[in-house]
Amino acid sequence: MKRPSILVLGFVLLAVGLLFATGTRAEEAKPGGSTAVQESKLTEPLAPPSIQIDKTSLENGRTIVVTGTAPAGKPVFIEVWGEKKVRASRFDADPDKETGKRPYVLYMTEDMPAYYKIFISQDQKDKLDKAKKEGKKWSFSQLLKDVGADVIYSAPAKIKIERYQASLLGSIIGSRGDILPQMDDKENKKRSMQLVKARFRSPDKVMGTDVQMNPDGSFRAEIKIRGGLAPGKYTVVASVDKITKSQPATFENHIGFPLIFLENAGTSINMFGPFLLTLAIAIFGVLMGAGGGFIMNPLFVSIWPLPHTIVAGTVMPTVLFSQGSGIYNYSKIKFINWKLGTTIGLAMVAGGFIGPKLTELITLDQFKFVFGWILLVLAGLMFWQTMPGYIAKNKKEQAILKEFKQKAEAAAKQKGN
Amino acid sequence: MIVEFWGQEFKVNIILGCIGGFLIAIVSSMFGFGGGPFMVPLMTVGLGLPMYVVVGSSLLAIFFNTLMGTARHFQFGNFDLVFFLIMFPAAILGGFIAPQIAKRVSPLTVKRVAVAGLLILALNLLGVY
Repeated sequence: MKRPSILVLGFVLLAVGLLFATGTRAEEAKPGGSTAVQESKLTEPLAPPSIQIDKTSLENGRTIVVTGTAPAGKPVFIEVWGEKKVRASRFDADPDKETGKRPYVLYMTEDMPAYYKIFISQDQKDKLDKAKKEGKKWSFSQLLKDVGADVIYSAPAKIKIERYQASLLGSIIGSRGDILPQMDDKENKKRSMQLVKARFRSPDKVMGTDVQMNPDGSFRAEIKIRGGLAPGKYTVVASVDKITKSQPATFENHIGFPLIFLENAGTSINMFGPFLLTLAIAIFGVLMGAGGGFIMNPLFVSIWPLPHTIVAGTVMPTVLFSQGSGIYNYSKIKFINWKLGTTIGLAMVAGGFIGPKLTELITLDQFKFVFGWILLVLAGLMFWQTMPGYIAKNKKEQAILKEFKQKAEAAAKQKGN
Repeated sequence: MIVEFWGQEFKVNIILGCIGGFLIAIVSSMFGFGGGPFMVPLMTVGLGLPMYVVVGSSLLAIFFNTLMGTARHFQFGNFDLVFFLIMFPAAILGGFIAPQIAKRVSPLTVKRVAVAGLLILALNLLGVY
């Protein structure tokens, strides 16, 4: 009984959605067309800006100077983006402003440029500062509107975004949920802005106030391409409005050893950094009797601009080997109760099936926050293990453990002989 | 459930063990860590088992979780091969170096340092400073 009704509801929603989509498109076309006519009546079509860049090849970032001329008196925006694509996702669980309902929709794209930044006039620094002051609540679409760059925002506007309707049951059985129909261009653009924020996090990563404009229309911008970015081709376009854009200029960013580009994470890092950190924490982890993942994961996401999903998903398999060899060593001396381990293990398999699905539903800040509490609990547990009572008890148990081990090893040897 | 270990028998509240293990597994696979430091107290304090029973069996239980968590993270595209290839040798090397150092430092000192370190890191993550 339930299924058909959901199906019908789905069809109705789809129909309404389609109607709405075509409706807005039709509405959009009219005013757009009329303003174009008005503009052409009032002024002649603007000449597209010209641009030149002083370098075409960079070694792990540097300052690049963009110069050019645009129609005098018009603000110039310079958009720069890299060709490498990365994943970005955002789970929309904020209550709808009108209905108060939480949509629980997961937006996900694989096509976010690994680098995207808009450079605006120096005069608008206060607007960028305002967004920075808002802290984590800043809105990219609001910032674009404030500085007037919403009309020229283009590179990520048309990325393919997939939408999933998440549900509690879906999360439990570990699916992303039902895939929703494609969004129209306008909605896609709006959601892409949210994904830009989800990917780049802070306002100064996506906007810089480096464009110097002169009254005669000439402009100059010193654009700093920082280190640790994706290699490959970067495109620079200067725009005045939606249709008045310069020809794209391109430069190539090269990275060399020991820097390597992490495809899935979308950043280049010095490979010795993670190597040494992993080494140090693996040693420390063995010494304190806890896996390194606890310390490694929060450090990785704090030190490097790595997405928490990638960190969680990549750190986990690294401990498989040490766990496996540990099990092998214990099993050799018959120190594993298979019934107990497998029973609880099966319950943990069910948990391990659900957990990774939830990682992509939380933001990096939530990841850090929850991890903070987990570490507090862990610190408490560790502290308890340094208390005299625990140590005394532990000493006795360690002695028994040693005795058992010796017995087991002797038994294993005898068997071998 | 009755657990037999080297001639001794222990009565275990397996429902508590399974629920606890299930919850620990969700959190640990979600955040990408092993879960050992939580499983050991669950099985010693919660289930009342002695340490020598717990060390091996908890590792087996966690291994199941890590295996499943790894497969699922891989399925959702949360795995970066190059990143893994950097960390993996370091983790293995650490496993060989650690026992050499372990002979020279007291576990108590290591734990005290760990408590301090964890507190600092936790407060940083919570945005206290």
